[in-house]
Amino acid sequence: MENEQVAFTIILHAGEARSHALEALKAAREHKFAEAEASLVLAKKQLIAAHQIQTDLLQAEARGEKKEVNLLLIHAQDHLMTAILAKDLIEEMVLMFKK
Amino acid sequence: MKILLVCSAGMSTSLLVTKMQKESQENGGNDEIFACSVDELEEFIDHYEVILIGPQIRYKAKVIGEMAAKKNKGFAIIDTVSYGMVDGKKVLAQAYGLKNS
Repeated sequence: MENEQVAFTIILHAGEARSHALEALKAAREHKFAEAEASLVLAKKQLIAAHQIQTDLLQAEARGEKKEVNLLLIHAQDHLMTAILAKDLIEEMVLMFKK
Repeated sequence: MKILLVCSAGMSTSLLVTKMQKESQENGGNDEIFACSVDELEEFIDHYEVILIGPQIRYKAKVIGEMAAKKNKGFAIIDTVSYGMVDGKKVLAQAYGLKNS
């Protein structure tokens, strides 16, 4: 994959994960907990996919294959971190709604 | 044609805009393509004919789609494969498909 495609694919998976997490939150707010759980599972799958790309980049770097780090890749990381945090917090919030 | 791309910060789509403009120029098209963030959308929407949103803000699709429909604008979520490949040609074709329909 080209450098920019790597970044776009991370953004894509991270964005999907965030979308699923927010869907889970909405479902929990409406007390549809099975739906919320299902959305969280989808969010996790998307985060794993994004994380895999990041791992590939790290391993390539460890092998001495230097990749250019540009603003777009940093932006992709920003998306991924935001999505991970959204998923983590929403998992907790779903539990809070259950109480 | 006037096309507006929207994503969370307007950053990733601005790279896509550059690719779409290149494609448009090569085909002798006279398209005006711009990227903005979700928060800026209301400020810019009136000027454009077609609104495309990045698949990463799919959770905003309902709200933005309704806003676009109310203003009689074409609307779609950018195809995920075209987005991932940063394929300006395909996204431009997607925008034109909306205008014709």
